[in-house]
Amino acid sequence: MAPWLSSGLIYASGLALTAGSITLLYIVTRTFNFAVASMATIGFYVVYTGVTLYGGLPYRYYPLVFIIGAITGLICYYGLNRHLLNRKAAEITLMMSTLGYDLVLLSLIQMYADFLTYNYKLFPRRVTMSLFDFELFGDRAAAFILPLIAIGFLTILHIFLTKTKFGVAMRATIENPVLASASGINSDRVYLVSWIISGGMAALGGSFMAMAMTGTPVMGMYTIPLMFAGAILGGLGSIYGGILGGMVIGLTEYAGVYLLAQRFGPWVLGYRMGIPLFIMAATLLVFPRGLSGIPLAKIIKSLVGQKRGDSA
Amino acid sequence: MTNHDGADRLKNILMRRELYAVLVILALLAFLFLRSGIPIILTILIQVTVFAIITMSLNLEVGYTGIPQFGRVAAVIAGAFAVGAIPGRIMAMFMGLPYGAEYASDTVNFRLVPQINSLLGSSWLMSLGFLVMCIVVAGISGALIGWLISRPAIRLKEAYLGISLLAFGDFFMWVGHNWKLLVGGSTPVKVPDPFIVFGAGRFNVIVPVFFFIALVIFVYLNKLTRSPFGRNLRMLRDNDLSAAAAGLNIVKIRTQSLVIGACIAAIGGGLYVIYTGSVAAIGMTRLTFTFWPWAYMMLGGIGSNVGVFLGVFILTIFRTMIIIFRSQWFGFLLAIGIDPLWLEFTLLGLVIIIVILFMPHGLIPARIETMLPVNRVKKVLEQRQ
Amino acid sequence: MLTVSKLNSGYGKLKVLYDLSIDVPDKGLTVVVGPNGAGKTTLLCSIMNIANVFSGEIILEGTSIIGEQTHNLAQRGISYVPQMGNVFAELTVMDNLHMAGYMLSKSEANIKADQMTEIFPVLKNFIHRLAGTLSGGERRMLAIAMGLMKNPKLMLLDELSTDLAPIIAERVMMEVARMRNELGITILMVEQMAKRALEIGDTAYLLVSGEVKYFGKAEALLHEPELCSMYLGIKESASKDKDFELSVSDEGSEDN
Repeated sequence: MAPWLSSGLIYASGLALTAGSITLLYIVTRTFNFAVASMATIGFYVVYTGVTLYGGLPYRYYPLVFIIGAITGLICYYGLNRHLLNRKAAEITLMMSTLGYDLVLLSLIQMYADFLTYNYKLFPRRVTMSLFDFELFGDRAAAFILPLIAIGFLTILHIFLTKTKFGVAMRATIENPVLASASGINSDRVYLVSWIISGGMAALGGSFMAMAMTGTPVMGMYTIPLMFAGAILGGLGSIYGGILGGMVIGLTEYAGVYLLAQRFGPWVLGYRMGIPLFIMAATLLVFPRGLSGIPLAKIIKSLVGQKRGDSA
Repeated sequence: MTNHDGADRLKNILMRRELYAVLVILALLAFLFLRSGIPIILTILIQVTVFAIITMSLNLEVGYTGIPQFGRVAAVIAGAFAVGAIPGRIMAMFMGLPYGAEYASDTVNFRLVPQINSLLGSSWLMSLGFLVMCIVVAGISGALIGWLISRPAIRLKEAYLGISLLAFGDFFMWVGHNWKLLVGGSTPVKVPDPFIVFGAGRFNVIVPVFFFIALVIFVYLNKLTRSPFGRNLRMLRDNDLSAAAAGLNIVKIRTQSLVIGACIAAIGGGLYVIYTGSVAAIGMTRLTFTFWPWAYMMLGGIGSNVGVFLGVFILTIFRTMIIIFRSQWFGFLLAIGIDPLWLEFTLLGLVIIIVILFMPHGLIPARIETMLPVNRVKKVLEQRQ
Repeated sequence: MLTVSKLNSGYGKLKVLYDLSIDVPDKGLTVVVGPNGAGKTTLLCSIMNIANVFSGEIILEGTSIIGEQTHNLAQRGISYVPQMGNVFAELTVMDNLHMAGYMLSKSEANIKADQMTEIFPVLKNFIHRLAGTLSGGERRMLAIAMGLMKNPKLMLLDELSTDLAPIIAERVMMEVARMRNELGITILMVEQMAKRALEIGDTAYLLVSGEVKYFGKAEALLHEPELCSMYLGIKESASKDKDFELSVSDEGSEDN
């Protein structure tokens, strides 16, 4: 596999999860979660701490990553988001509050990096996680494993949302919160679960991304515009749209930089952030409702729906 | 009669809060002066003026026009880059020195700027002229950026707009950091110093000059918000649908607000690089020039420029104290290897969270705005009775 | 069953109901009629704590329910069928029924769902279709079925007949009457189709501009020609022998 493709797949899988996380939280609670930036970075540092202090492959720490991400989300919900939702705060206020939370988390991450440096003689501020990976088919294993994990996660999520009572209740609450309440569904629990899943996804996404990019305390901060771009490109209508959007943004960045660098020279690298943003802007011009608005998504959905109907 | 009492009582309460805030600020400044002397106070004051200017511009766009301006750094960068790239080149051209692309290269720039400085140092008038030129150049480039931003900004709403502006600001920083010709890229370009005339007493002069500029902007914005334009802004912010129904040209008003805001922010950016003496693109981060101004504004009270000054003062003092008392107060962190400077971020995050949760209107709630001064309003009411 | 006393409520800061008091007797069909904007929907929303209650009291079977969260009220046995958004369009009919029976156990829900398809056989054909693809009448049937899934003590029905073809609307009315007669459910029904509602109802309240203008036996209201013509668009005082077609065209001339 070409290097840009293997790195691109790794990076895009991570970006897809974070974009999906943002989308999920937005459609359930109308909150644009800025704190995904730090949650992703935390995910990376959990893996880093694991492999440097306890050894093994990065992959075995992923369940822990999800749990810690979920807890981070839970704290944000109970400490912050819940009160604002009860107050019927405006979207911009909800977003700003997550910004505050993100900055607090960032300070803690930075302090943690200091702590690791001083007490364990590590260098956590510029990490190349790919060094901890193994080889598969002549390429980095992550390029195969991570997209598979992402797809697997997506599948589990899909089953949860369509086949379990609570999952369907979540979809009901998303569509019509009043009717859902009147049916006896406790919206508080729905919001809580969405924060937990979102937090876990964000942390997982960050640990994926770290396998392709340089791990730093500010890697989340650095890439948050791209995560948002992925979510916006996905159309903010469905989680799958967000994941697809994140995937597209990630791949176009790596593919785009590679192609442009070939054509125009290495100076392009400094502007790599502009490429996916440009793609997002261009796509929105043609499809204002993002990728969700493209019939293709509907076709896939209806196929899945058909299967569901037949089996029941 | 009851209106009178109500207005009086409200005024009293407001005045009391502002007074307390000012007293707290003075007390803290006195404390710092006793501990660390005058230089620290001057540094704080200069920072306050620069960031007050930037935050007031934010207040115009957010508080008065209701735009989620998360890309404030873009306009600040525009001003900073403009001052880094243009006035120096003009002086160089005037002096027969290289002023093209090579101006920004570090080896050339390193020798050029001191020469420009010695020319500036020889004449008050020339220094003043140079300062004015900087401000004008910054303002114009800010206005241009504001206009550029307004093109897509008009169409987008709420959080989408906020994120787009944020991305735009980031992009600008990367351009400056990578494009060597502009401001030297990763090697900062030096800015000629209009205050070199005053030699060692440089800071002593910068403070009143910057304060004066900030005051002018404050007065201008006050007049602006009391004008018909200001009234339009408020109509727009409160309900853009009915504003449009009333015949207001929403696009035009938003554009004007964005342009003016960017212009002012750019002036702040220009002053900032004059003060620091160089333009390091990588240092123009969204943290420093977007998020902190938001915190200043939120603490002070969105919609109040007096609040802006108070917010900037209080938080700048706190930030400075973290830096000064790094080892004395936070020794326990140092003991386990943690640099207390990270507490600045914690402070920033906590301020935002606490303000949102507990005092969403900030220290100075936006008071009911009257078109005429309150006294005249009272007189009119009296006459009616 | 339910008593509302001196209720002042609305949306945000806008007050819609003024010192409203109504009484919903056990096992009866209480009808609330009145012109548009009178606050009929707000009344139901206030009971379910969807609207903003400023002051007053709402008592269900002797306990105050002011401030109770909506999903708790559902658990107490109040079933609310809104006028708009009364089905989950993006879920299948089966999922809709199961959501309506959220508080039941899985087996209970399955049993009730089967019952519902017996009562409304038309739903059997659509059981796996998305509710949004159903026609207006079918959706209304589904909404009522969902209302019944909870084994409610009290049903709050909001203008079930809106936008329905007259024949379907009549069927809906019959169904409501049947729920009171055969299932013994207490019903508080808000209706635009005033004449028919008053014909099947027990007690009636006439709501105008957030206040009660009349209350008493439903039939009796039909015999108040002034109120009927001024607020309900009923041109002549009702008599049960009146041609069904005529009474429908009367309703059509109501002010909106």
